[in-house]
Amino acid sequence: MAAISVRNLVKTYYTTERRGFLKRRKIPVRALRGVSFEVRRGEVFGLLGPNGAGKTTTIKIITTLLLPDSGKAEVLGVDVIRDPVRAREVMGVTLSVERGFFWKLTGRENLKYFGILRGMRGEELEKRIDKVLELTGLRDLGGEHKLFEEYSLGMKARLALARAMLHDPPLLILDEPTLGLDPHSARTIRSLLVRLAREEGKTVLITTHNMFEADLMCDRVAIINKGVIVAVGTPAELKARIAGRLGMEFLVRAPPAVDVRSVIQRALSKAEVSVEPTQEGLRVRLVIRPEEEEKTLERVTEALAAVGGRVRQVRVQEPTLEDVFIALTGGGGVEAVTG
Amino acid sequence: MRPSPADILRAGFFSTMMWLKNNRWMFFTVFIWPYLLAGGMLLIGTAFGSLETFSQNVGVANPVVYMIAASGVVMSSLIIVDDVANFVVYARWVGTLPYLLLTPASYPLLLLLLPLPDAFLGSMSGLLAALPGAVAVEGVMGAARIGLILLFVYLGMLPLVGLSVIIASATLIVKTDENIASFLTPLMTLVSGVFYPITILPPVLQALAGVIPVTYVVQAAKLAASFTTPEVAPFLLAAGSLTALALGYNGAAAVFIRGVEKAVKRSGAV
Repeated sequence: MAAISVRNLVKTYYTTERRGFLKRRKIPVRALRGVSFEVRRGEVFGLLGPNGAGKTTTIKIITTLLLPDSGKAEVLGVDVIRDPVRAREVMGVTLSVERGFFWKLTGRENLKYFGILRGMRGEELEKRIDKVLELTGLRDLGGEHKLFEEYSLGMKARLALARAMLHDPPLLILDEPTLGLDPHSARTIRSLLVRLAREEGKTVLITTHNMFEADLMCDRVAIINKGVIVAVGTPAELKARIAGRLGMEFLVRAPPAVDVRSVIQRALSKAEVSVEPTQEGLRVRLVIRPEEEEKTLERVTEALAAVGGRVRQVRVQEPTLEDVFIALTGGGGVEAVTG
Repeated sequence: MRPSPADILRAGFFSTMMWLKNNRWMFFTVFIWPYLLAGGMLLIGTAFGSLETFSQNVGVANPVVYMIAASGVVMSSLIIVDDVANFVVYARWVGTLPYLLLTPASYPLLLLLLPLPDAFLGSMSGLLAALPGAVAVEGVMGAARIGLILLFVYLGMLPLVGLSVIIASATLIVKTDENIASFLTPLMTLVSGVFYPITILPPVLQALAGVIPVTYVVQAAKLAASFTTPEVAPFLLAAGSLTALALGYNGAAAVFIRGVEKAVKRSGAV
């Protein structure tokens, strides 16, 4: 039996557009258009996709917070639509690392509150709190008796993970667990999740747009785009899909008003372009065929020069998971890659 | 593991106690509040005449005790509306709402039970704050009056729970961050007869006062503040009215919240 089984999920949202003081118009947004995938027991599974691809909607359905229009989702054999209360018992969830706790309570008090709400009590609860504080490193950071309002983002992320693990669920579902974290905190959380899967047999489902992270820690990944799963497999299998191609990376400088993505897209009509800001400038990534390397460099340099920009660095390498992502989704919405 | 109703109440109690422990200045504001309100009302009241005139107009024997107690009554009665009805808004604002709804318990049970301990403790502290004032003016009799009023405050909470749960459910479904109760509590204070007799209100507001539980709590508070020899019948009448309202409001709430979980999950309001 799969740890998570999702079959043909469809969900349409309605957003409201204001058209004057009283007039409003409902606009349907098709968030999911038949999403299906399976997560095996004991694996770390990554759900990757650009912003608005349907990752969070999928997670919300699996975690019983949202009903699909149609389709089915099961966690450890429990139907999340028919038996949501039982489904909630077997999973630990993190939706946002920044919020979700009482600001005027300490880390330990917050955990105790949520533990009581899980039906835990007495020594059993205290011991579990001790364990998750230890595992997440919060005790060493002095977070146990510190008010949540005094927490750094890294500590908040650790506390969110501690809460998800508190009732020792076999399944952890984490929506962008390392988003915005410093490299050290991100690395700690990644290694803890991998350890939980390897040593304790936990199943971990994470969503992320951090390709480095997915490549590093996920046994398998699914790439979702515009409400549809476009690929599922191990990072190696997915990279093999674009075998024979190269990842070309430019570090560029351009005037602030220039839309670099559009400029390069115009110069290389069929290329999938991903652009992200970094400390040193804009990082532009393309997936190319080896024979296109020289021509691409020439065109990008010319196009940027025409708008007052310039190429500062060029690097060509074997395709990464990010390149697969760019090739399959068009690269839209790829955000900061932190190490 | 699933939480029992007692666990949910325990969690609510725990968070309130920890919050008070970590915000000690709150004790000061809780205890000073009824005196500020009562002082303000007495100041305004005496500007239009003496304490005796006020006593005659409002119909209580001891206006000072009554105003202190009445301020406590209003605070204590309405705290349930604030706590339960605004619970969803607060939880959404803090970000705890999805995690509360992820606990293996039904939504109505969580909406109903989780904010109750805070409301209970809030009501008690409101009236306990009025206790020293009442004792200072009337001694043991003042304390007895406060005790009697406290009983009615808790009885008055029963119908308000139903009303508040309806508001909380509506807030959850419509995905609003508006404090729906914020217009309701002043209205209840206005028509409950706490600061002037209901008889001087227009007929529409008098009718409205009849279905607002706070009215009967205030009525009982007035009786408690004015009696010299205890009369049971008027108290029983107020208690009966509150029980009837409790049945009505909670019955309506039970019907209303039945579909809450599904409606919330369909709209994606979390």
